[in-house]
Amino acid sequence: MLRLLLPRLLQSVVILLGVTLVVSSLIKLIPGDPVDIISAGDPSMTVEDLDRLREQMGLNRSVFEHYIAYLGGAVQGDLGTSLRQHMPVADLVLERVPATAELAFWAMVFGLVLAVPLGVVTALKRGSWVDYGGTVVAVLGVSTPSFLLAVMMILWFSVDMRMLPASGYRGSALGALFTLDFAGFVTTIRYFLLPAISLSFVLVAVNARLIRSAMLEVLEQDYITFATAKGVPRMVIILRHALRNALLPVVTMLGLQVGSLLSGTVVIENVFAWPGIGRLAVDAIHNRDYAVIQGVVLISAVLFIALNLVVDGLYRIIDPRVGS
Amino acid sequence: MTDETASLPSSVSPTRTGFLSALIRSPKGLSGLILVLFILFCAIAGPWIMPHDPVHQSLFSRFAPTVWQEGGSAKHLLGGDNMGRDILSRTIAGARISVQVAVIVVSIALVAGSLLGALAGFFGGWLDTVIMRIVDFQLAFPFLLLALIFMAVLGPGFTTLVVALSMGFWINFARVVRSETLRIRKLDYIDAAITMGVSRARIILTHVLPNVLPAMLVVATLDVALVVLSEAGLSFLGLGVQPPTISWGMMIADGRDYLYQQPWIVIAPGIAVLMTSVGINLFGDFMRDHFDPRLERTRT
Repeated sequence: MLRLLLPRLLQSVVILLGVTLVVSSLIKLIPGDPVDIISAGDPSMTVEDLDRLREQMGLNRSVFEHYIAYLGGAVQGDLGTSLRQHMPVADLVLERVPATAELAFWAMVFGLVLAVPLGVVTALKRGSWVDYGGTVVAVLGVSTPSFLLAVMMILWFSVDMRMLPASGYRGSALGALFTLDFAGFVTTIRYFLLPAISLSFVLVAVNARLIRSAMLEVLEQDYITFATAKGVPRMVIILRHALRNALLPVVTMLGLQVGSLLSGTVVIENVFAWPGIGRLAVDAIHNRDYAVIQGVVLISAVLFIALNLVVDGLYRIIDPRVGS
Repeated sequence: MTDETASLPSSVSPTRTGFLSALIRSPKGLSGLILVLFILFCAIAGPWIMPHDPVHQSLFSRFAPTVWQEGGSAKHLLGGDNMGRDILSRTIAGARISVQVAVIVVSIALVAGSLLGALAGFFGGWLDTVIMRIVDFQLAFPFLLLALIFMAVLGPGFTTLVVALSMGFWINFARVVRSETLRIRKLDYIDAAITMGVSRARIILTHVLPNVLPAMLVVATLDVALVVLSEAGLSFLGLGVQPPTISWGMMIADGRDYLYQQPWIVIAPGIAVLMTSVGINLFGDFMRDHFDPRLERTRT
């Protein structure tokens, strides 16, 4: 197992070094002097302040020196200080990771919970109107921008029907679930519903298609015919023999989908005033808070790569054929 | 990871007449094409078919109702926005920027990606390694994060948008063209051409690129939809084109504060984005089925 994962681990380290290089040289790529841009709105800054800022941002060092310094800091958990919020960037980003992670988690859950039945039914009723409806969902899923769906759902569920909150975050729903605080769960999950569903629509569409085509392929296998001949009930064949194998391609895609979810949360967090890293990043760009952008990109990359390693490991456990 | 799309079925040799007759028989492809042509028409003819100046503000038309709502008039078919600007005119104006960005980005990505892919596939060796490692790196990295870096460096705007999106989309072309080139490279007639002393550049241009054209067209079409959605998303965040340029994403972002007063500020550009992406996806799916059924979507 370790021998199989080692190359992937090494590859991840190389990618992370690359990300750090891109992120740390960001400050050097900005045309003109970023310190002048930053100080433009603040006449109270003295020449010494500006010099200190240049020193702090590594503008008087070479790209390589700066990279080594940034990498050294990053390994020790020091990603610099936010220029606007005067807080360590690492703290600023990490305290917002749970809200983003849990939003992505629920989106993934909704994505799978809705996609599995849709995929199975469209495969079993191939060519029927149900299958046709599935095709419509698939096209709409890849064509609808998440933020449009989000705004439209706010219009329906919050403005018109007043059923769900239009924005905000009231704490972790998973946390409430684990502590068996069901009243708390009901309160918190309501805030997750609209953003998570907006994010999951594209996943439902893509995963349902994947499951459908995998099911169609699996159902033609000899062992399915054999089980049918043996008299195994249809339901058991579908759920135990076919679906379990049809889920494999979805597991492979999960890693990539985490990436698209991370991108998606950036947009969705800004719609729902969600206190996650996506909103932090967009605010930082508008405020020219470079250290924060660097921190968000780096920490997201670490999370993304780590999750992909986990998915990879999972896949090898689920499907013993891989890598043997 | 890089060889997934290897080898087209060699029996596929679509002719132009085959494509057209297949298109006419396909409801999916035809409806997609009609939607795409409609949006293209709005983008090109926009200034002549807009009922009003899309940036003209008027206090009298503030939150004007649509023509079918109570008190609506034919003056503002889709009503007025929070500054009394005509929503229909603004939606038509938005088509232009969407089409512009999509065409420029996909063209840059297509040319750069195909060239790099052809070079990687044809010459192999260290060149191949370097190019494909960059591709792997980008595949292993959420696209929007990359775009955010560019936004931070260059500041939001049209040029930044085009640069960031092109940097994100060239890899699809590079992968498809490389794997096709690898396949074609091994064919006898390429060996024959090399033996006859035809230059490498000429072989790539006259033998390799024409063969990968169908696959490239399919990727380009489906990528247009992704670019339109990405542009709308970034403009929605205020990171795309800047006012006074009108973009659908920006209109939706502006309109969400006024959902109660006039939801059509959001609904009209929303329908426009949907029509565009649904149209391109339908047409792209048809093209893929026709040219190369094995080509899979690589991104969600």
